[in-house]
Amino acid sequence: MERIRRDFSTVTLVMIPVAIALNIAVGQLVVALKLPLYLDSIGTILVAVLAGPLAGLVTGVLANLIWTLTGLQPFAAAFAIVAGIIGLMAGLFAGWGWFRRVWLWLLGGVITGIVAALVSAPISAYLFGGVMGSGQDFLVAFFRATGASVIQATFGQGIVADPLDKLVSFLLVWLTLRALPSRFLQRFPRAENVAGRPE
Amino acid sequence: MIELDGVTFTYAGEATPTLQQLDLRIGAGELWAVLGPTGAGKSTLCSLLAGFIPHFYRGSLRGKVRVAGIDVPGSSLGEMSEHVGSVFQNPFNQVTGARYTVREEIGFGLENLGVPRPAMLERIERSLALTGLSELAERSPYALSGGQQQRLAIASILALRPKLMILDEPTSQLDPAGTGQVFTLLRDLVSAGETTVVVAEQRLEWVARVADRCLVLQSGTKAAEGTPSDVLSSPEAEGWGLCESRFSRAARAAAAQGVTPQRPQLPHTLDQAVEYFR
Amino acid sequence: MGLLLAVAFAVPWWACYLTLGLLVLPLAALGRLFGPLTRTLWKLVLPFAVPILLIQGFFWGEGEVLFTLGPLSFYRLGLIFAAASIGRIAMLGGCFLLLSMTTRIDMLMRALVERGLPNQALYLVVTTLQLVPRFEAQAHRIQDAQRARGLETEGSIARRARALVPLIGPLLLASLMDVEERALALEARGFSRRGPRTSLVTLRDTPLQRWLRLALWLLAATLILYRLVSWITR
Repeated sequence: MERIRRDFSTVTLVMIPVAIALNIAVGQLVVALKLPLYLDSIGTILVAVLAGPLAGLVTGVLANLIWTLTGLQPFAAAFAIVAGIIGLMAGLFAGWGWFRRVWLWLLGGVITGIVAALVSAPISAYLFGGVMGSGQDFLVAFFRATGASVIQATFGQGIVADPLDKLVSFLLVWLTLRALPSRFLQRFPRAENVAGRPE
Repeated sequence: MIELDGVTFTYAGEATPTLQQLDLRIGAGELWAVLGPTGAGKSTLCSLLAGFIPHFYRGSLRGKVRVAGIDVPGSSLGEMSEHVGSVFQNPFNQVTGARYTVREEIGFGLENLGVPRPAMLERIERSLALTGLSELAERSPYALSGGQQQRLAIASILALRPKLMILDEPTSQLDPAGTGQVFTLLRDLVSAGETTVVVAEQRLEWVARVADRCLVLQSGTKAAEGTPSDVLSSPEAEGWGLCESRFSRAARAAAAQGVTPQRPQLPHTLDQAVEYFR
Repeated sequence: MGLLLAVAFAVPWWACYLTLGLLVLPLAALGRLFGPLTRTLWKLVLPFAVPILLIQGFFWGEGEVLFTLGPLSFYRLGLIFAAASIGRIAMLGGCFLLLSMTTRIDMLMRALVERGLPNQALYLVVTTLQLVPRFEAQAHRIQDAQRARGLETEGSIARRARALVPLIGPLLLASLMDVEERALALEARGFSRRGPRTSLVTLRDTPLQRWLRLALWLLAATLILYRLVSWITR
């Protein structure tokens, strides 16, 4: 309980809106570069590493809810759980020390991506197709199930795109954070995820 | 108002102390300027006076620190914010983002402090008037210029009626117009007895114009203390790494070339220069 | 919100269209939002409506066939199912849009805070909403600056990918640097003070509003119960 209060320090609360705004800004840059990625969870992952899994969860969920509230994408809220899980997993992996070993960290990214795709598939299937009726053949089911991303709401991208996207996101966060001096990292509740335990 | 005795502070993870054996006495109702090159410890001193050291920044703190009658190490961030106000460099970062108008933005701190609503309204109006923001009261804080945003930050802090205001290089990101607004405001506030001000700055011309007293820091220790003219005209001034004003530089150059004999009180403002070279 | 969702699925599908027509749209017109609301709603529902209609219509697989198009048959049950789904989505979307377009979010949050939501939630929601446009503008500026320096927005994937890092790295770092100053500025305003807080704004809650809320709750509860009962006794 005490840990939760420490995780949600003022610094964390300040970081979350910044991270959510980053999600959107980076997402737009990526679209401008016409790359097959979203990178719309990069801020969420950042918060998760620096402030723990619960903070990452809150960031992800809030990001999608805000998306809905702005009226840009009313259905983003349905995928809030997915975004929350991404933050949660990134935070857990960082808490287990995976951040300090780059290969483990990148593996964590791939795992997160797979889980994200798996969780969002039934959500979009339910939302846009209803419960699968009788007489459906496998192709249609697969087709519908992979319309997972809300940003690029085109079918057939989920299962392949998500792990790659999370891998790159995790990598970018790693590159950015590991170069920061310890004195600066001390601001954040979970600095030890990046820097290791202080001697 | 401020009592520092033998204060030594080292940031966590650093080997050398940023502040060393610092003694300081500042009385109420004065405008003090803290001078020194980058790395001299100005920001650290500001953080200490506001209570961010030791309650936000970690490290080892020794010595006595009493600000506005409060023992700082034994206090908390919440308590300190009721008596000491802080203004920072970047105007944009001081807009909370949680409110939609300038008026509400000023009210943010008052709400946190639990001030009753009638008093809130009155204090907000006063802050707006003191900082010249009354016409902008209904605008979004994000629709203001840098100088206006900085005045908003000052207004928001003023509304909390702090006994002491600490400003850490508040004009470094402002244009000349904005800089002038801020310094003039600070001088007016102190002259009117609203609060005591400690401002860390590099712009010597303005400091010479508005400050009552100066403190020069060098590598975390006190290098000099006194009125702006005394301090800035001191022969040791060149060794402190301060950015000298063009007027005093001109005076020294003139003396070196034998054009005008160098008098003890060097000019640091335009008016002083006019007098000096007459 | 959950209640709304539950109602959406509890009510027979044609009622969704009714709600849309009789409740949401007239309310929008009342608030002079008819144009923007319908335009946005149309833009949102269409990308989903067309694929659903096509897939469910052509792949339903059983029941009466309405017409054929070459080798494909369009099924009536599929059409009904699609219409139901579209109706639900449209109603949900419409309600959402109405809510977001008519409510000032900070007033909504303040009302929730009055009812027990932690104060930090208000800060998070409103600040995020205000920061997002600023960051979008910042991203555009960075884009333009880099493009002026010859950034590759065309070319191979590898080249474009390499252009990514110098764009994103500084953005992330600068944002993190700012976090410290922002946190201190908040602390200076008593953000982490323990103690009672007051509010500058007073929210008016008239008896009429209270009665309306009660009525809505009862209506929703009745509908859900009715649906549950009829489902169980099927």
